[in-house]
Amino acid sequence: MRRLASLLEWLNRWFSTLWVRLGIVLLPVALGGMVAFYVQIVIRPLPILAFRIDIGTAVLLAGLFLTLLLGAYFFGDESRSWFARDEIVAMRHELEESRRQFIRRLDHELKNPLTGLQAALVNMAEAPDEADRARAAENARQALERLRRLLADLRKLAELDEQSLERLPVDIPALLEEVTDAVRSLPSAQGRAIHLLISRVPWPFPPVRGDRDLLSLAFYNLIENALKFTTSQDTVEIRALEDGKVILVEVADSGPGIPPTDLPKIFEELYRGVNARRVEGSGLGLALTRRIVRLHGGTLEVRSRQDEPRGTVFTVRLPVAR
Amino acid sequence: MDTFPDRPLLLLVDDDPSIAATVAPFLERAGFRVLTVSDGATALEKAHSHRPALIILDVLMPRLDGREVLRRLRRENVWIPAILLTQVGEASERALALEEGADDYLNKPFDPYELLARIRAVLRRTRPGERSLSTSWMLSALDLRLDRRARRAFFKEQPLDLTPKAFAVLEYLMTHPDECLSRERLLEAVWGWDYPVGTRTVDTRIAELRRVLEDDPEQPRYIETVAGEGYRFVAPVTGQ
Repeated sequence: MRRLASLLEWLNRWFSTLWVRLGIVLLPVALGGMVAFYVQIVIRPLPILAFRIDIGTAVLLAGLFLTLLLGAYFFGDESRSWFARDEIVAMRHELEESRRQFIRRLDHELKNPLTGLQAALVNMAEAPDEADRARAAENARQALERLRRLLADLRKLAELDEQSLERLPVDIPALLEEVTDAVRSLPSAQGRAIHLLISRVPWPFPPVRGDRDLLSLAFYNLIENALKFTTSQDTVEIRALEDGKVILVEVADSGPGIPPTDLPKIFEELYRGVNARRVEGSGLGLALTRRIVRLHGGTLEVRSRQDEPRGTVFTVRLPVAR
Repeated sequence: MDTFPDRPLLLLVDDDPSIAATVAPFLERAGFRVLTVSDGATALEKAHSHRPALIILDVLMPRLDGREVLRRLRRENVWIPAILLTQVGEASERALALEEGADDYLNKPFDPYELLARIRAVLRRTRPGERSLSTSWMLSALDLRLDRRARRAFFKEQPLDLTPKAFAVLEYLMTHPDECLSRERLLEAVWGWDYPVGTRTVDTRIAELRRVLEDDPEQPRYIETVAGEGYRFVAPVTGQ
């Protein structure tokens, strides 16, 4: 028994050396070549009448076929990784570049509130009267709040990758009503036109399986964004439809639209487009939203135009629970 | 430090000098004596030698991290109340959090007034030398029983069908009885994050809890709404 095991091990080791494998792969074609040579040159050609082919050629072809098969078996993995090597290098470069870009953007996002905080502290120490000091304290508090938001969103984004998702049935229309209601009660939404359209005939929406709180955050981000980037003359519309397989939710606004050059980048972490330079926010909202939608097996898309009729539409598609 | 020997002594353990330098004077102004140390091993020593009324522990520290310090103290049957400066994790991690036996959690960055409120609440809740509710495996209140290890709840001896979030909310309420808990605080403690409309999420889970506990918001036996503030668990809680 032990002798058999050691024999197997020896064979195994023997097979794993490159030359042995190469030899085995090339053996059939070599044998085929020898048979073909023997048949055609040494004795005379022996045609197989039914196939109009010479026996020697047939053996050679069979050997070639066997060699290809063995080659694929022994060297398939190596050749694949050989061809994929360039791709891996390119991917690594891309990753490094996106990491560098992320750090550059983070640096930028941290710099501004920190500068504000520093100035507020100087004002607080030097301002002669009480009112100025109070204003400086308020400025410091705002800068802190901005940093806190950024940190919270960064943490959330990191956590989404680690934690497991709750998978319970979620009633999307009820969720949209709740989120829209909540957004309407925000101070910044006062006097704004926000419409929610949900089709109700002939049957209610099927549920989506997922984490209600995360989905609520995703829709909240989209609606809040629509409000942030538009003025009080603009309209924001939230509409939901279903086709039995997918629930489609659109958040549309009649705002200035997103420049085509910014459009592919708005879902990137901490990216700020031309429109977003002066808008409050962590710069992570859309990245978070897209991550949440994808975790639910859905997609998030955007279309936007800047010439009349202008506006932006974000489309969320979520698969229905089966 | 010993000018006011009757004031409660706090042990503040944090390796970051900016925290110690700012939080300690703040707590002293609030009427405590504060002993500051910067690593876990010293914290263990001081906890034994000075017997503080409460320990405030950072988690990431050199030599011995905050969780380990707490675990060792609890293993030695030392039940000095403790506040960990971190976030309570996901449900899987919650069982671990229970094991380490912290009385409350506060995530950085925090408002110093929030820390003060937590310190006062923990000191009010706990009796020296006794295990607190936060470290009990089983909590009971009237007809409700909460098995924190198995993460199951029973009402009138019948198992309750609760979502994991609702269970976590109930657990937090029961370990902080008779304390007014704001929606923001529940969000922070249970969800680990908050956002402007997240407070509605809390209301949804509270409604779920009231439904299964057959609790009437007008005449609550368990969860009371504090108008404009938050919620309060009003039933008397006992731990095992």
